[in-house]
Amino acid sequence: MNFWNNVVQTAMLGTNKKDIVQQDLPEELLVAVKIINDNAVIDAEEKFIQTAALAFNYRQCGVRPNPQAGATLSLAPAEEKLYCNTEALQALKDILFEDSVGLLKIWLQLCLQKNQIITPALIPALMDKSVQQKHLKTLVQECVGKRGAWLSQFNSEWDFAPETNMEDLWQTGTPAERKNTLQQLRNSNSQKAKEWLKETWPVENANSKNDLLSAISINISADDIEWLESLLNEKSQKVKDSVLQLLKQIPTSTIVKQYEEVLRRSVSLRKEKGLLGLSSKTIIHSDITTPVDESIFKSGIEKLTNRKEFNDDEYIIYQLMQSVAPQFWEKQFLLSPGEIIQMFQKDEIKKKFIPAMIGAVVQFKDTGWADAFMKNSHVFYLDIIPLLPVEQQEYYSNKFFTGHEENIIRYALERDEEWSTELAKNIFKHTAKNYYTYNRAFYNRYIHLIPVQIVGLLEKCTPQEEHLRESWSNISEYIIKLITLKIETIKAFQ
Amino acid sequence: MQLTEDQILTLAPDESSKKSGKDLSNAAKWGTKGVNEFALWGECQGSGSKPYRTQIALNNIAFKCSCPSRKFPCKHGIGLLLLYAKNGQSFIDHKAPDWVTEWLNKRSDKEENKTAKKDKLVDEAAQAKRLQARENIVEDGINELLLWIKDIVRNGILSIPEKGAQFFGGMSKRLIDAKAPGLAGMVKNLGNINFYFEGWQSLFMDQMARIYLVIAAYKNKEGISSLITEDVRTQIGFTQATEILKEQNGIVDSWLVLGKQTTEEDGLVTERNWLYGTQTDKYALVLQFIVRGQGAGFSITPGMTLNAELVFYESIQPLRALIKKEIQGGENQLVKPFQNWEQVAEAETILNRSLPFRSERPFIIKNITPVQFDNSWWLADENHNLVQLKSKYKYLYTILSLSGGEPMNMAVLGKENRYEPLGVWNNSHYMMVS
Repeated sequence: MNFWNNVVQTAMLGTNKKDIVQQDLPEELLVAVKIINDNAVIDAEEKFIQTAALAFNYRQCGVRPNPQAGATLSLAPAEEKLYCNTEALQALKDILFEDSVGLLKIWLQLCLQKNQIITPALIPALMDKSVQQKHLKTLVQECVGKRGAWLSQFNSEWDFAPETNMEDLWQTGTPAERKNTLQQLRNSNSQKAKEWLKETWPVENANSKNDLLSAISINISADDIEWLESLLNEKSQKVKDSVLQLLKQIPTSTIVKQYEEVLRRSVSLRKEKGLLGLSSKTIIHSDITTPVDESIFKSGIEKLTNRKEFNDDEYIIYQLMQSVAPQFWEKQFLLSPGEIIQMFQKDEIKKKFIPAMIGAVVQFKDTGWADAFMKNSHVFYLDIIPLLPVEQQEYYSNKFFTGHEENIIRYALERDEEWSTELAKNIFKHTAKNYYTYNRAFYNRYIHLIPVQIVGLLEKCTPQEEHLRESWSNISEYIIKLITLKIETIKAFQ
Repeated sequence: MQLTEDQILTLAPDESSKKSGKDLSNAAKWGTKGVNEFALWGECQGSGSKPYRTQIALNNIAFKCSCPSRKFPCKHGIGLLLLYAKNGQSFIDHKAPDWVTEWLNKRSDKEENKTAKKDKLVDEAAQAKRLQARENIVEDGINELLLWIKDIVRNGILSIPEKGAQFFGGMSKRLIDAKAPGLAGMVKNLGNINFYFEGWQSLFMDQMARIYLVIAAYKNKEGISSLITEDVRTQIGFTQATEILKEQNGIVDSWLVLGKQTTEEDGLVTERNWLYGTQTDKYALVLQFIVRGQGAGFSITPGMTLNAELVFYESIQPLRALIKKEIQGGENQLVKPFQNWEQVAEAETILNRSLPFRSERPFIIKNITPVQFDNSWWLADENHNLVQLKSKYKYLYTILSLSGGEPMNMAVLGKENRYEPLGVWNNSHYMMVS
């Protein structure tokens, strides 16, 4: 090998400047090299290249493998779960080929339910997918078994991090990784997540504090009040504002209690005598009689109205009503939610405060009040839909679809449960007319929500407009393909 | 012959054909369909009034379709084959319609005509004159190439990276004009070396040595064996007439298709199909050149067994072969692997001794485990002898995942201690790694 290095070094400088060095010449080549050098017919360049060719073949003929007894590979631990069947594996291959994230999620969930795993050949493809689709990572990790966990040690991009490694990620990861880790932990162990953040809080800068606080909104509860309220003295206004927003989500926080106090004094029920004093009725009275603590206006409540239907005091009350839990009114009025709603509706003046109550229902995710609104209200309040039980979501979405298509679709997309055929049909009738927005990627992404029975109704969703029909026909074919894959996947795991 | 979906998809000419083929593997897309021992057929409704008629000859997976697509095989061929692989029981019609039997008959007539074809009356003198003229042109090209090499050697290769593509492109074009396309390719490969790579100088000198060995052997052809002369001529770019080759007796075997590599340049697709004779223990390389939009002569796919008579091109170390004839036969995946890397190295020494400018070859080797050593990946045999895995090998994680740390029988491609796996035996069944 040294002789070959000599050849290369001579070649680098050229025969003009350097002769080939004879030392390190293998004994077997001595005779041949002498013949070359003694050949008067060829010039120095050709002598060199002949010698190089000789050395080249000598080298490649003499190549031997590298003995390294210490180079070994750890064995992957034995699997505990069974592999899924060939039909399921074929369905997975088809799904990966189609690059359908929605279907992949269904496949992984079914595989997990069956307590099965994929065969080794497909593990790398699935692990690559989990890098692109981080929300599938936990499912993928469950479905690749012990082989996948073993394999992940060789590729740091796959980031196969069980909870013990989450702490490493929290301590040393990028800002995005730290936020993601905190969010994950907040989902599974909210107290521990808060402790981690409290620990590093003194060394976080304002931007990262602001960013990480958003994770605390997950599973926020009264347990978080004490710490959050201690952060109201932070230097950064941005951070203080974020803290305040979080506190406003907790019914028993100081700021919400302050709001309640103002409302307690300002909004009450009074009996009013009717015509000729023969009857009386209960009316809602609202009036800010005692001055409002100025600190309330520093918490985001506007003093002056910007809405012509409210005077300043009314607008203050409106904002406060948005920010207190609806259950407050049950204690305030000693009435049920339905009775309160009906009372506000009957009051020609006070019914303008109903949207504020709706805001509070959504803010505090009060499903009881959401149900009460749908049962007692004359008006359809779209924003409540996600808080209703699925059957009611379906019912109201279908009932009020026309005129509210985009909003109803938006909420339908946030669901985990599959749509009813009726809702799917209504949605498709709308999306069929808007193929730029609702293209193949849309159906691919949300296939997990699309019921298989829709296949028989696709033609009924054809737009009347001639110029839209061909694109719907193409998209329908694609939907059928996705649904066929969905059916195959479900069948494979039965 | 039962192909898997993965095997069928390797027949598709491009990704979009794979997608479209999969779309058409839905039974609802096909009206009539059937199968018998010779062919698979089906009718698929397209945009026209008449359905497209697709048929596949099963002995050599030859496609024909009445659709206007310029791709080969078309999406209908891929789709029909996929449907058959998924749901063969649904092909209940076994009586081939006329349009299928006519095609099959025409194909067998064509084969007979080819073999029965009489040689044209050849003006031997004119042919000899043409051959000599070519030899003269090639000789001139080689002389020019030798001067070019000597210039490089005289001035040194240190400044080669600054020369630019034209330095090599120009010489390559002159060799094309000199009717030495093989040498032109070797010079082009010289220019394609990555000059940012540490150690490029050694690779450069390797290729220079190969080029010199070819041209020196050609200039001294009277003094070397006729078989090596054939190798030299092939390397320069002289072709061996396939009609003459096919008249020779070939080797009949059950050939396991180890792997397929496809490259494309200037609209020409080159397929390198690596085969292993399960009874004769011989390796073969079957090349296929496909012009985009035109059909392929044959379709073979890794993992399948091709029962055929192969005729080898003349060489001191025969590797390249033609499919002379396909024959009926069963599947056979029994192999005789090399026991360890030492045996492979010995085989390589024998190959290099007689054919020093040869290119890489496949080997089947027993009980190989991928291992990490010195910050890179290697392939270890039972005796803990290592060879290096080719850098940027795309399927490392698949190999690792299949292995799980356990050794596997493996088909590899490479030379001089750098190899890449083509496929592995997984539960006694050969699977291509991709």
